[in-house]
Amino acid sequence: MRLRNSVCALALFALAAGPAPAAEDFRLVFIAYQNPDQLVDNVEPVVEYLEARLGVGVKAYVATDYAAVVEALRGETADAGFMGPLQYVLAHQEAGAYPILGEVYSGSSTYVSRIFVRKDSGIESVEQLKDHSIAFVDPLSSSGYMYPLDVFRQQGLIDHRDDADAFFGRIYFAGGDEQAIRAVYNGFVDAAGIGQYSFTLLRPEERDQMVAIGESRPIPSHCVVVRKGADPELVDGLREALLALNDGPNRNLLEQLYNVDGYVEVDHSTYAGVAELAKEYGFVRE
Amino acid sequence: MALCLAIFCDHPATAHIVPPEELHPITESYRRLGFFLQLRPLPSSEVARDVERIAAELEALDAERASAFARAARPLVESLDPATELEPNEQLTARRALFELATRALAAALETQLADARASLADYGAARRSLDLARQLWEAFEVEIRAADPQTFVELGRCWLELSSALGHPGVLGVGVVAPDSAAFAEDADELARYLRINFGEAYRVAEAGTFAPVPRQRSDPERAVELPIRLPPGANLNKQLPRPRQVLNMATRGVDERETTLIALGDMGFDSSFIFGEPARSLALSCNTCHNKSITNPGFFIPGLSSRPGGLDVSSSFFAPHANNGHFDPIDIPDLRGIRFTAPYGRNGRFDSLREFIRNVIVNEFNGPEPDPTLLDGLIAYMLEFDFLPNPLLGADGRLTDAASAAAKAGEEIFNREFEQMGGHSCASCHLPSDHFLDRRRHDIGTVAGAEENSRDGALDTPTLLSSLYTAPYFADGSQPTLRSVNEWFNDHYELGLGETELEQLTAYVETVGSGVDAYEDTLHTLEAELEEFSFFLSTYEFLKQRQHSELIAITFKTIALEIRAHKWDVQDPSQMPTLDHMASLMDAAGEALQQGDWAAVDAGVQEYRRVYAENPQLR
Repeated sequence: MRLRNSVCALALFALAAGPAPAAEDFRLVFIAYQNPDQLVDNVEPVVEYLEARLGVGVKAYVATDYAAVVEALRGETADAGFMGPLQYVLAHQEAGAYPILGEVYSGSSTYVSRIFVRKDSGIESVEQLKDHSIAFVDPLSSSGYMYPLDVFRQQGLIDHRDDADAFFGRIYFAGGDEQAIRAVYNGFVDAAGIGQYSFTLLRPEERDQMVAIGESRPIPSHCVVVRKGADPELVDGLREALLALNDGPNRNLLEQLYNVDGYVEVDHSTYAGVAELAKEYGFVRE
Repeated sequence: MALCLAIFCDHPATAHIVPPEELHPITESYRRLGFFLQLRPLPSSEVARDVERIAAELEALDAERASAFARAARPLVESLDPATELEPNEQLTARRALFELATRALAAALETQLADARASLADYGAARRSLDLARQLWEAFEVEIRAADPQTFVELGRCWLELSSALGHPGVLGVGVVAPDSAAFAEDADELARYLRINFGEAYRVAEAGTFAPVPRQRSDPERAVELPIRLPPGANLNKQLPRPRQVLNMATRGVDERETTLIALGDMGFDSSFIFGEPARSLALSCNTCHNKSITNPGFFIPGLSSRPGGLDVSSSFFAPHANNGHFDPIDIPDLRGIRFTAPYGRNGRFDSLREFIRNVIVNEFNGPEPDPTLLDGLIAYMLEFDFLPNPLLGADGRLTDAASAAAKAGEEIFNREFEQMGGHSCASCHLPSDHFLDRRRHDIGTVAGAEENSRDGALDTPTLLSSLYTAPYFADGSQPTLRSVNEWFNDHYELGLGETELEQLTAYVETVGSGVDAYEDTLHTLEAELEEFSFFLSTYEFLKQRQHSELIAITFKTIALEIRAHKWDVQDPSQMPTLDHMASLMDAAGEALQQGDWAAVDAGVQEYRRVYAENPQLR
């Protein structure tokens, strides 16, 4: 299992070979966490559905990292894309992109990060992690770095991310959710700060060895983001088409859209907390 | 978050379904190769397939090395073909040589990827791809390293974290850029490469005969005994089907509480317990219920090298019970056990007239268990005799279709009863007697089994019932027919019955009608509550077993409940109940320990506390 294992090449992979998209085509970038080729196959019915709903051609692209999605929106080589909360904040700041829909999982449009340790570690609170090692996912991850770090900030243990090096004995960036949670399970590190669902990457019998000792503030879920200046009519059409999947006859297509439960409407204010935190941690400019 | 959820968190109710490991193709084939090489007989075509897959995947990484691997491996694979008829010691030598070759090739490929990552540190994407690939190849070794040398396993695990951190980060649009740390990367890459060369390089040899697993040559504590975990190969699937098939227990249908039927409850426990089997089934948590989920065939069950298709298994192989290996690959389609009290004789070839003998053979000779306690056998029989077919309003008591059946099915009923000269004047109904559960309790050789030699008489199989068969695909003893329609086509072709398309459709409509039933599947994916109720049935046998001084069966009951709670607790819909479930499992652990100590008062107290907790938590029911 490789989950958001890495931020790989900044290349976009064209979904369909052939001529360049027509000017009126709507261009949508999917992020491939794992197997780009598989995603290409998976999103085909989604593309067909959107074409029927929007009444224009839809060109889908697959990117292997968020930077490529943000870059595509900024460079206007894509009209919309899927991304995480922190990446959205950066896309908004750098390119004026804005979110239209948030993903819903397990009935919620938010999730949390947790600090996991082994049950047999004797560590019962985040304070006890002073001078201990911790694994995060990625230095630019919302749930795998910024929000877990905020758990320590909320407890008054650090003031800024630059303080983290002094608080922890060692910080690692494991490169993926599973690598981070397994690093704790296997005893490579004392703790991991990761999104709540990373826990379920362990096998059931392994989960019993783990316990969460800290939990972050709610994080708004990943979102569908459109570029500044995108055709408002098509943006409305995209919003309505994806919202129609929540209860409609094409609900099965959600399986191809990262298996979300559905979508909710969002705007920039939904991510205001993320933006604020990103500023406080120096991820975005004041 | 998205992909995590996509794979694991789509629905809490399916949390007990263990998703397959997703491995790099080289790692996957290598692990499977190790599993295959221990089997007797050797699944030589599957060995060849995985060797070629390793070679092809290596080609993309290092063409020269891939070519060298293929050149050396292919003659070994050819020598292992049954037609070559190698002597046993030559066979073993070839198996070992093949595994050593693959191990060295994998280690070398891993080292190359580390070097590539190091060389491309200036290009984050390229370095990350090489490092990720190296780590995926590492998964071929890490289970054995962990088991053989836990200390080094942790040290090397930190190396991987150091490597990942040393890559730095390119940021997004210039934000969050972290420069790579070349020196740190080089140090840890060198350490890993050194470890690989020492342990899995040119000097690597299979540790001991029959253990085709990459046990490191040098260990922190050479005196420490190496106990490798029992594992199935990649591609194995022991998950039960969802939605869960509806079990029809005769006494339960009559409104009887299983807590009132001690022997049946004991059999229910035994049916769900891997502890009545021996190794390796026990460590793999494999029970009767794994293959016969609530008496119904598990269509997804599959073990590479031991199954020819999903829903089948060679139960006379060297893996589960080496002493009872019959030496040839003969997987059978897992039979459905509904209505088993009407379907004697047992076994696909009807070799057991007695259900008792059949069950004992499964425990002792198919899954390597100890001689079963007679009371346990009584229980298993009592439980299995309650397995009913699905009720079917389209069939009368005499086995004839009712008026509610379709016209096509009724037309098919005539064909089913039609005598064909090509079948010796018999009809389908001659063997599948409608008035007697659609079987005749006889064995017939209809030409579906390849004999041991020309004109041999070893191809006869027991006539299977057609009742409830619509839900038990695939069909035939080897599972070679995917649908009831294809079964009919086989008979039509094999016996040249001359049925046209319309008659084939009618015959299929009839057989499907006979094989259908009411509510074949449960209407919920949530299984925890039903499982917990079943555990209360298991525990209802405690007083009886204590009175009869069956300590061993009590211990099995406690262990089974604890194991099952831990396996199913992830299905819980209300996470706040998790501590209660953990507590219930712990109570069973503690009761088992008290039993070992002979502290009956503590055992009694543990059982009563479990019952109290269950009774006082209606959310769990």
